[in-house]
Amino acid sequence: MKRWQMIKLGLILAVYTTVGCVGLAFVYNSTSKTIAQRQEADLQAGLHEVFPAATGFTPTDKVKSTNPKIVFDAAYTANGSSGTLGIAVKAQGPSYGGQTTILVGVSTDGAITGAKVLENKDTPGLGANAASPTYYVDKATKTTFAGQFAGKKLTDPFVVKKDVVAITSATITSRAIANLVQAVGKAVSDVLGIGGSSQDPKAVLPSADTVRTSSKPATSSVPGVSILETSLGTHAGAIVGAAAKAKAKSYDGDVTVLVGVAVDGTILGVQILECTDSLGSSILAPGFARQFVGRKAGAPLAVDANVDAVSGATFSSAGATALVKATADALAKALAGGGL
Amino acid sequence: MKRLFSVLVNGLIVENPLFVIMIGLCSAMAVTTTVANGIGMGVALTFVLVMSELIISLFRNLIPESIRMPIFLIVIAAFTTIMDLEMKAYFPVLSKSMGVFIPLVVVNCIVMGRVEAYSSKQPVLNSVFDGLGMGLGYAWVLIAIAAVRELLGNGTLLGFQIMPSSFEPMIFFILPPGGFLVFALWMAASNDLRRRLLAGRKPEPTQDSCCTLPADGSAEKA
Repeated sequence: MKRWQMIKLGLILAVYTTVGCVGLAFVYNSTSKTIAQRQEADLQAGLHEVFPAATGFTPTDKVKSTNPKIVFDAAYTANGSSGTLGIAVKAQGPSYGGQTTILVGVSTDGAITGAKVLENKDTPGLGANAASPTYYVDKATKTTFAGQFAGKKLTDPFVVKKDVVAITSATITSRAIANLVQAVGKAVSDVLGIGGSSQDPKAVLPSADTVRTSSKPATSSVPGVSILETSLGTHAGAIVGAAAKAKAKSYDGDVTVLVGVAVDGTILGVQILECTDSLGSSILAPGFARQFVGRKAGAPLAVDANVDAVSGATFSSAGATALVKATADALAKALAGGGL
Repeated sequence: MKRLFSVLVNGLIVENPLFVIMIGLCSAMAVTTTVANGIGMGVALTFVLVMSELIISLFRNLIPESIRMPIFLIVIAAFTTIMDLEMKAYFPVLSKSMGVFIPLVVVNCIVMGRVEAYSSKQPVLNSVFDGLGMGLGYAWVLIAIAAVRELLGNGTLLGFQIMPSSFEPMIFFILPPGGFLVFALWMAASNDLRRRLLAGRKPEPTQDSCCTLPADGSAEKA
């Protein structure tokens, strides 16, 4: 008896569920088209907002995020009357209250054409002002927080409270969005081939007042290391050091570094510019590069001996360390021999 | 007719779901940062409540006692999803700003509470009016809280700048503590009015009797 009762109840529940599902299916069918159209229209409107000069957009899959925390949802080539004007990317990354999604346009001449915050879950009244069209970081010109990125050069530092105006009491949100815009800018500039401009050798030659491209490139004798650009730093006319951008194979990708060396062979500054290893991007953290500063070229440099690896990225750390050493040695040799 | 009207107004003050029954509070606190959100959430919940109460009351004799909860949930979830889809299609901005709270109407205690306490035992017309009254009772509270919070916390009402530009928005009111404060002040005002409305009747409602629902769900006995 009990079993029949159970089957009966199950069947009754099944009837209610079926009726509910059929009803939902009808509503879904009648609304799904409108919802898709709306989202498409929203996207087009957003794209035109961040790329006002473009006449049309075509999806592209060329733009890749190098940071595992930042996801590029979609990218679009902006078409103008005379060919490609740039690329617009829909990207999401972590902010104070969860993921935030933005749309950024980058032009072929290396500037941000516009940015728009699509979704932001930060505190209403504070961080959420990032998405507000009536919150102005500059009341005189009616510039919104995202609006201030329009026209910004990719070579700018994108540092909140320096060249980016923060939202009042929402520094974390401001930083998250500024980083996101910068990440998109970097990724797009790589695709468009305007990359090199953002990596200024001056940053690793703090004692120089002028930095110029050297007359002759430095060369490394270490196999696999290719030196891409060599610059010479001078202070009041006298040579104080040299810098080079170099690239080599690492764990399962490439690593690119920028190294500055003084005339006496002391490493003045190191920047890890890129690391395409899987899980390797954590070595881009400035703390890793900072340990090289003050070391002498020619002296041994090795992970686990006198360089701390970034945990979880030992292979990439070792690869980058070897490259920094090779580059520094090459620069010191070139400086000593007067070959620059 | 007069009885139906009394069922309708019952939910506004005397048995207000938020201030007297005190259920469904989380959504009331979360979405009331702007008046537009308050209106949207109020309308959304009223729709789900009226439709669920209508259907459950219609089928109240065909729902076996032992599996009534899953059946209530199926009905409520179906109407919530319908409303979610319709809102996404026709009010995308509103749907976006209320985010997760629209799908969460499904677990709003007000809907489950009224379906269980009222419409599973009452005739169809009464249930519909109860749903309407409870929904409006929920909606007016949301709008009242949101109006204060938006005006003081952002200087706007429905997105229009009301306060002079010299007014510095008091962000406190947008944040949860401000929400609790505004909620409590409105609750005090509303329950004072309720006490006066019920003053002629007896017995005088005590804290205990006001929070336990009478079996037939009406406030007459309260």
